[in-house]
Amino acid sequence: MATMIPYIIKRLLYFIPTLLLVAFLVFFLVHLIPGDPVVVMLGENASPENVVSIRKSMGLDRPLPVQFTLWVGNVLQGDFGTSIQTKRPVIQSIKERFPVTIILTTLALLFSLILSLPSGIFAAIYQNTKKDYLFMIGTLLGVSLPGFWLGLMALLVFSVHIGWFPSIGFVPMWEDFWEGLRYMILPASTLGLFMAAVVARMTRSSMLEVLRLEYVTHARAKGLSEWKVITKHALKNAFGPALTTIGLQYGRLLGGAVVTETVFSLPGLGKYIVVAIYARDYPVVQGCILFIALIYVVINLVVDLLYSYFDPRIEYQ
Amino acid sequence: MAWRRLFEHRLGMIGLVVILGNILLAILAPWIASDPLKVDVANREAFPSREFFFGTDEYGRDIFSRVIYGTRISLYISLLSVAVASIFGVAIGAVAGYYGGLTDNILMRFMDAIMSFPAILLAIGIMAVLGGHLFNVVIALGFVYIPRFARIIRGSVLSLKEKGFVEASLAMGNSDLIIIWRHILPNCTAPLIVQATVSLAYAILAEASLSFLGLGAPPPAPSWGNILSDARNFMLDAPWMTVFPGIAITLAVLGFNLFGDALRDVLDPRLK
Amino acid sequence: MDKVLDIRDLKTFFYTRDGVAKAVNGVSLFLKRGEILGLVGESGCGKSVTALSILRLVPDPPGKIVSGQILLDGMDLLQLPLKQIRQIRGDRISMIFQEPMISLNPAFTIKDQLLEALFTHREIGRAEAQARAIAMLRLVEIPEPEKRINDYPHQLSGGMRQRVMIAEALLLKPELILADEPTTALDVTIQAQVLDILYKLTQEIGAAILLITHNLGLVAESAQRVVVMYAGQVVEEGPVAAIFQNARHPYTQGLLRSVPLPGQRRGQQRQTLYEIKGIVPSLFDLPPGCAFYPRCPSPKTLCAAEEPRQVAISPGHYVSCWRGQ
Repeated sequence: MATMIPYIIKRLLYFIPTLLLVAFLVFFLVHLIPGDPVVVMLGENASPENVVSIRKSMGLDRPLPVQFTLWVGNVLQGDFGTSIQTKRPVIQSIKERFPVTIILTTLALLFSLILSLPSGIFAAIYQNTKKDYLFMIGTLLGVSLPGFWLGLMALLVFSVHIGWFPSIGFVPMWEDFWEGLRYMILPASTLGLFMAAVVARMTRSSMLEVLRLEYVTHARAKGLSEWKVITKHALKNAFGPALTTIGLQYGRLLGGAVVTETVFSLPGLGKYIVVAIYARDYPVVQGCILFIALIYVVINLVVDLLYSYFDPRIEYQ
Repeated sequence: MAWRRLFEHRLGMIGLVVILGNILLAILAPWIASDPLKVDVANREAFPSREFFFGTDEYGRDIFSRVIYGTRISLYISLLSVAVASIFGVAIGAVAGYYGGLTDNILMRFMDAIMSFPAILLAIGIMAVLGGHLFNVVIALGFVYIPRFARIIRGSVLSLKEKGFVEASLAMGNSDLIIIWRHILPNCTAPLIVQATVSLAYAILAEASLSFLGLGAPPPAPSWGNILSDARNFMLDAPWMTVFPGIAITLAVLGFNLFGDALRDVLDPRLK
Repeated sequence: MDKVLDIRDLKTFFYTRDGVAKAVNGVSLFLKRGEILGLVGESGCGKSVTALSILRLVPDPPGKIVSGQILLDGMDLLQLPLKQIRQIRGDRISMIFQEPMISLNPAFTIKDQLLEALFTHREIGRAEAQARAIAMLRLVEIPEPEKRINDYPHQLSGGMRQRVMIAEALLLKPELILADEPTTALDVTIQAQVLDILYKLTQEIGAAILLITHNLGLVAESAQRVVVMYAGQVVEEGPVAAIFQNARHPYTQGLLRSVPLPGQRRGQQRQTLYEIKGIVPSLFDLPPGCAFYPRCPSPKTLCAAEEPRQVAISPGHYVSCWRGQ
């Protein structure tokens, strides 16, 4: 493990400029908004003096690079801006809503892993048999079905007609685990399906590649049971690429959460962003997008670091 | 080229048929379907019938025609945005891979930064800024997909560099631009094409999601996502509004996925 | 005569979309206890498949052991249930692969892999297993084995990796070692060292080695007997001296002539390197009669029509050739 430290440091150093660039992109994005943001804030009938003074107080009269540095400085201190509508700090709303999104995406992740990993492994073992074809069809559908439509259809069938699950509303799982879970099952599963299909395919192809390799034959030649060969030798090597895919797909979960929360009316960060966009509350939009992007970068960093456990050769590249 | 193997690939050909079918529907829409914007108050939320194959929505608009016309929007958006993404992506990737060093570093960091955003989120952000207009969706999605193309082309360029094509060509006196244009790019077409079909599939899904959120094609345009967005309020009364557009989306995406898989199998099985 | 391994008329075919490849097409050979048998032939002649067949490691599909017997100490391995074969693998018969970089699992340490071999076949405590493993590594002359045992395969050089493979193969004191091109992937200077260690340790435990190689030089130095294969069949077999001094099959003769002699290409009496004309036949489409017929420098008409029968030249020396008698 100690040999991994230089690798970890290297990854961390790479990480910082990326973060800065991400922040730059968000900053740049919002400053593309046509028109004067202060006028947008105060309304068209604001008096010119007001506009000038507000602009000064918000620092909007300073040159852009200065604004950017100030903004980044604020972010580092936890200040993600203030909502135009509610005048509350964005970070406050993030703190309230992000847990919901986290639960949604985590459940979706679990669902997708439980579905995809075993099926991907089995599809590799039973390559080109009927089971494999079923798998291919299933995953193809999984990546072609629009998640939000699936959510709508699921609502239609399960909530409206069969009534198994509640359709809208939310109970936090930290308050009431089982009831909260009931509310999350439909959204988490429709959100996770796409990812499940992608990860399943990746697992299958990774396993196929590994099973062809000589150390698998060698493991068998040592007298190991087929079960051991697959779960110990093949899997550890095959999991690496799957792990990278999982990390990347988590981003899709975060993005998809926006849509899923809208479909199921969950009080999460995603829905908040959409509502803020309608309300033209740009500081909120800016702050939330930045926040999610940062989380995603951190997750990918963690995945990168984990990868070296599955493939020790990577440190040396 | 491995054309024959492509045509032998059964699933891939099914996908191609679906794609062509979509294109055909888009072109022939005015002849097949009635006006998708025509409001017919008398026939609101009508059950599917011989007159209205897929029923009508809350304004009495024929869902069948809206779905058919929807193919135009999804094809327009996906083709254009992938075109934008591939042109810029290839340019960036080729330059980065070819020149290497600092240029490569800087360009790829930018690409990484863009990829640090969940795609839909970035698209939503861009749409929030630019406003709901069909062309803006093209810009938004095009921008979001650039890094994927850039990476792939850069990878191809790097591996070609290793093989010595570049050195040999330089030794013969060719300029950089000619080398890139004539020698390197033609060898990258395989992964490019595969990535393009994958991106086309994603773009259709992305556009539908954006429109569903109200951040895509502006109503009353008959984007599939728009139809579904309306349908949400009428799930109990008119479930057919929900069913058919979704099937349309799934089929369109499936077509590109099937064909893309076949292309991948034929052009480079390793990519699988 | 005590035969540890006796293969009788083995046939292993591969059933693919392009047809049936008869990789092993009626091969019979045996190994005496403790002897080193060289199995030579060019790539694709079926020697590796023969070895894999012994341990039933042939990928199925598309491969299938169609017929024959493989007797280990008189027990037919092909009739045993897979569970028993697994007990034999690594324990009574072990295998050394050609490329240690790809045959050692890159994700596990040397220790993991060595201990795994022990735990699979013996009831043994962790501490004792580790001690045995380290002792074995010392025997194969790996420096500082207590430290290196915690390394990953990619941290070792090619020669050391192969020594680890040998260590693992000998850990359970097998009766038979299948060595599939054990030094082909190594630098020439290392090859001799590695082989020396292999032979020395194998002799100590009295194991037999089936040395699969295309390198005649290796065979000449170390093997007691040689079996020459071509296109899935045995064409000649016998004691090393007999083969090298009195080869009867045109293929064997061709192989021996192909080995360049020092000075062969220099000076006034330059000779071109000898090559056997023609190419190896496709295993999907074997000609009737002798498989070597198309390339034989002086065939008889009978050769094209009928497969040659095996004939004894001298005690222990057999050839399958209409002409070589």
